[in-house]
Amino acid sequence: MSGWHSWAALAVFVAVYALIISERIPRTAAALGGAGLMLAIAATDDAAAFYDESTGIDWNVIFLLLGMMVIVGVLRQTGLFEYLAIWAVKRARGRPFRVMVMLVVLTAVASALLDNVTTVLLIAPVTLLVCDRLGLPAAPFLIAEVFASNVGGTATLVGDPPNIIIASRGGLSFNDFLVHLLPISAVLTVVLIGLCRVLFRRVFTFDAERATEVMTLDEREAIRDRRLLVQGLVVLALVVAGFVLHPVLHYAPSVVALLGAGLLVAISKVETPEVLREVEWPTLAFFAGLFIMVGALIETGVIGEASRALADAMGGSDLGAAMILLFGSAVLSGIVDNIPYVATMAPITADLVQNSGGNHVLWWALALGADLGGNATAIGASANVVVLGIAERNRQPISFWEFTKYGLIVTAVTVALSAVYLWLRYFAFA
Amino acid sequence: MLARDLVRPYPLVSADSDAFTAAKLVAERDLQAVLVTEDDLPVAVLSAARLLELIVPAYILDDPRLAAVVDEPHADRLCDALAGRRVGDCLPEKRKMPPVVAPDDTALEVATLMVHERSPFVVVADGERTLGVISSSHLLDRLLEIT
Repeated sequence: MSGWHSWAALAVFVAVYALIISERIPRTAAALGGAGLMLAIAATDDAAAFYDESTGIDWNVIFLLLGMMVIVGVLRQTGLFEYLAIWAVKRARGRPFRVMVMLVVLTAVASALLDNVTTVLLIAPVTLLVCDRLGLPAAPFLIAEVFASNVGGTATLVGDPPNIIIASRGGLSFNDFLVHLLPISAVLTVVLIGLCRVLFRRVFTFDAERATEVMTLDEREAIRDRRLLVQGLVVLALVVAGFVLHPVLHYAPSVVALLGAGLLVAISKVETPEVLREVEWPTLAFFAGLFIMVGALIETGVIGEASRALADAMGGSDLGAAMILLFGSAVLSGIVDNIPYVATMAPITADLVQNSGGNHVLWWALALGADLGGNATAIGASANVVVLGIAERNRQPISFWEFTKYGLIVTAVTVALSAVYLWLRYFAFA
Repeated sequence: MLARDLVRPYPLVSADSDAFTAAKLVAERDLQAVLVTEDDLPVAVLSAARLLELIVPAYILDDPRLAAVVDEPHADRLCDALAGRRVGDCLPEKRKMPPVVAPDDTALEVATLMVHERSPFVVVADGERTLGVISSSHLLDRLLEIT
């Protein structure tokens, strides 16, 4: 690393990271401010920031997020998730552990297709209603759902924002994620259910009288607009088909999501401004700022230097590199928001993959570490923070340590199993 | 017409009193709000809208579609949420002091303050002594009499 540009870019990057972690100012403001500084000190320029796929804003990521936010924004209005959650709880006949299993499975499956924050925003209110009826503390159920959203989100390209970045930077398709991460995500969901049985065993007290009160909930009332529901489900199915059929259609995931969003807005009666209000514009701006900052580190040679140092440390062992990426990412993602972490690590991982002769196991190690590490602490992922806020508003507060004591156990078990999975699948029986 | 000509006695509730009883007072007298006192001094306004906000569970406010799935008997028992609460517990985190006018303020001054503060009533006070309250409906009623 040489030249004042490299050191200045690194200083700006570290300062912005510190601001994001400290939450002293909104993360979007920090990232955009950092991007502005990178441009001001000429660590990058407009051509690299706006038009270069590898050193600037990754528009595939931005537009994939935008398209999915629009589709999810419309689906939210249909009441589908409330319907499914209440239907599932009623199938459990009010038995607390069965209720938890149903909600965990529903959350994990929904998180594979929707972003984790949206999923928990939809599931948490239903959970509070159900726990209210059953006379049970909601905290264990809410914590289990957060774990499920982070585990389920690992399964697909669109399940967790870090996966979207990894897919774009690694040139990985939706099917690649299904083949490599869906199996372990499914196994981890089953393991999570077993862990919940042990960790929350004290709350599973069945009260037959209370259970009958759950059966009086009418899930059909949650769906107000059947036409919109059908339209939303058809478009979602088409979008998933578009993702899966990438080898045939050759449409990038961002194009598929945008086409789906456009189609849904065109055929439904939902007003465009109403849909656009559902888009999390600050999140998109946050991504744009991050990409420019990381691009500046690439342009000034900082990322290249870091990649070489990491490659030297790993000593040319792919297994060692995968394990360091997995465990290192899990630890760091428990402390730092996993989006900026993966945005930074993606170009370094791309270099390592190239050096290892294109071994994609490093991408899967990064994805598993970053996604599952989010469960470790109460601030490890956005979904955790959102659920803690909902619990607080409903006078069922979950403290940082209450969450973290369970989170550390779940993260340790799931990451350890992921390590075994990576070793068995990509090294022992490769 | 001055504030002293418009002022009327108004129900006051102590911050330590029972929230359920305060809600009954609002309901029975068809009030938009009650004035909350501490040590006999008006300190805040507890509106009917705030009471409704408290009896609707926060998770329903987070996801209003859930209101439809709750059956009628349970929906009718919403006021159970007020049981055991003090009036002081029901006040918003950022307490809003009721606007105060002097006895010699004009009807226009009173109306302007109500609009500006978005308050359904103002307190009429002579120095530290509270004389009573002017509600927006009473003010309108008196102004219409003259028109």
